[in-house]
Amino acid sequence: MSRLPVFVQDLREGRRSLIGWSLGLIVVMMIYLPFFGIMGGDSEIRELVESLPPALVEALRYDQMFTGPGYAQATILGLLGFALGTIAAVSWGARAIAGDEETGTLELTLAHRVSRERLVLERALGILVRLVVLGVVVAVVLLATSEPFGLDLVAGNVLAAVTAFVLLLLTTAMAALAAGAVVGRRVVALAAGTGLAVFGYVGDAVGGQAAGWGWLQDISPFAWAYGNSPITDGWDPGGLALLLALSGVLLVGAVVAFRRRDVGT
Amino acid sequence: MTAVATHSLTKDFGDVRALDSLDLEIPIGSIFGVIGPNGAGKTTLMRLLIDILRPTSGHAVVLGEDPRTAGPELRARIGYLPGELHLEGRLTGRQQVDFWAALGDDPASARDIAHSLAERLELDLGRQSRTLSKGNKQKLGLVQAFMHRPELLILDEPTSGLDPLVQQEVLAIVREARDAGATVFLSSHVLSEVEAVADTAALLRTGRIATVAPMAELRATAVRHLRAVLDGTSVREIRAAFSFRGLAFTLDDLGDGEVAVTGMVEGRADDVVKGLAGFHVVDLVYAEPDLEETVLHLYRGPDAGAETPTTPTTPTSPPTPTSPPATDEEEAR
Repeated sequence: MSRLPVFVQDLREGRRSLIGWSLGLIVVMMIYLPFFGIMGGDSEIRELVESLPPALVEALRYDQMFTGPGYAQATILGLLGFALGTIAAVSWGARAIAGDEETGTLELTLAHRVSRERLVLERALGILVRLVVLGVVVAVVLLATSEPFGLDLVAGNVLAAVTAFVLLLLTTAMAALAAGAVVGRRVVALAAGTGLAVFGYVGDAVGGQAAGWGWLQDISPFAWAYGNSPITDGWDPGGLALLLALSGVLLVGAVVAFRRRDVGT
Repeated sequence: MTAVATHSLTKDFGDVRALDSLDLEIPIGSIFGVIGPNGAGKTTLMRLLIDILRPTSGHAVVLGEDPRTAGPELRARIGYLPGELHLEGRLTGRQQVDFWAALGDDPASARDIAHSLAERLELDLGRQSRTLSKGNKQKLGLVQAFMHRPELLILDEPTSGLDPLVQQEVLAIVREARDAGATVFLSSHVLSEVEAVADTAALLRTGRIATVAPMAELRATAVRHLRAVLDGTSVREIRAAFSFRGLAFTLDDLGDGEVAVTGMVEGRADDVVKGLAGFHVVDLVYAEPDLEETVLHLYRGPDAGAETPTTPTTPTSPPTPTSPPATDEEEAR
């Protein structure tokens, strides 16, 4: 019998959702990645992009769009994959405690031989595993389509960038989980996770352009993940460590808060 | 020996006092029923015992340990059925049973017991719980509470949503658990259900214990609604017959010699039957009132002066009905 029953149960319950999000990511990637062919070279699109205000181009990271890795980063890892992955991560994180508490199923689980801390930790592990699966899906699609779509991706760099992608999603999931562990309201948990993701994204964009606002990038998880361009330059241990540390702090906070309070009131 | 003891157990939700310095003792090996209207604090008390809620002050001792500090090992010895049961809709009964079994000490035997209980209650474990009726969900909740043979069962409204035959079966299972040495703490808003199984019952109202008594005593104080139609007589004759026995009812002359007799009776079934026996009875209803009425009636009993809450500690407690049942009798005088 399993030593981690809550974790196993979560994976069983979340299988359908995980398959759905994986398919969504695959569909989005299969729609966007083939377009790289018409972005490269001296296309009209390139001229169009060059005529746009530089700040806009930089905010949307269109300046990187004309190399394969830059395109994959700008369209998938930094934008659509990030958006889809964030929605999945936040919804899983919000569900782990707050959602389950609001539907009333948490009360029954906690009436059994499960401690509060164990529940939080096993649920967090379940989220991490699901995010890793999403990361594997993204990595496999990128590597498989690199040659047919002419993306010129380097396998090691893809792994580094997708790892950053997964850990970035983990921070938002843990923010949602922690907020749910503190207050037990799903809406608050969703807001916390989404808020952190948006803050990271906007902070990175603003910090990269506005003079005197560079410090925003120092505290933006998005910048920690992608600031050193892992998709072109490979592993960035410092950024990954920051993402892991933030996730860890949020998780510890979740455990401490959840141990102390009433459930289901 | 007590299975559950509470000492000045108090729980506030914001400004609302849900439990007010509750002192309660449940002997090991007994069935203890707690009855009371909605909002009386039954569910809050049960949740405190399994550490879902934490007391504002006071403490509980459950199977010799404080639930606040004893952790999951204590809950492994308790079977809990929540009053509002919510199950993961996409999972089948069998998958949920496997999960609950995996959480316990002895998954294999818990699964076996669960499957035999499901069979006994005619519950199909192959179906997803979202497709189950309310009654079948409740059966799954009961299976969940009994499956690891707990020393203490805490059952919040165990027969709610079940049809009468299954209710009887569930009460039989409860008795069997007691006979096997377990202690059962159950709540209900249906007096007859507590009457049917409990050895002792407590009446809870606005977070306080109103009465704790062996079932036999409570039964004697049980209030009944009487409604009878008598034929070939007059209001005067009937009034005389009942006042002889110290009973006063509302009497309505229906014409043609028929008189309707209505009122509340407390533990005087014998006098009622003997009083009616002198007349030709056309129609007779002698019914158990709902619990709210019973509780109110008991509050108006001998201890009413001491127990009537004149200083409301719970601002949101339900208002006392404007027409208490006793007025029927007063009008008749």
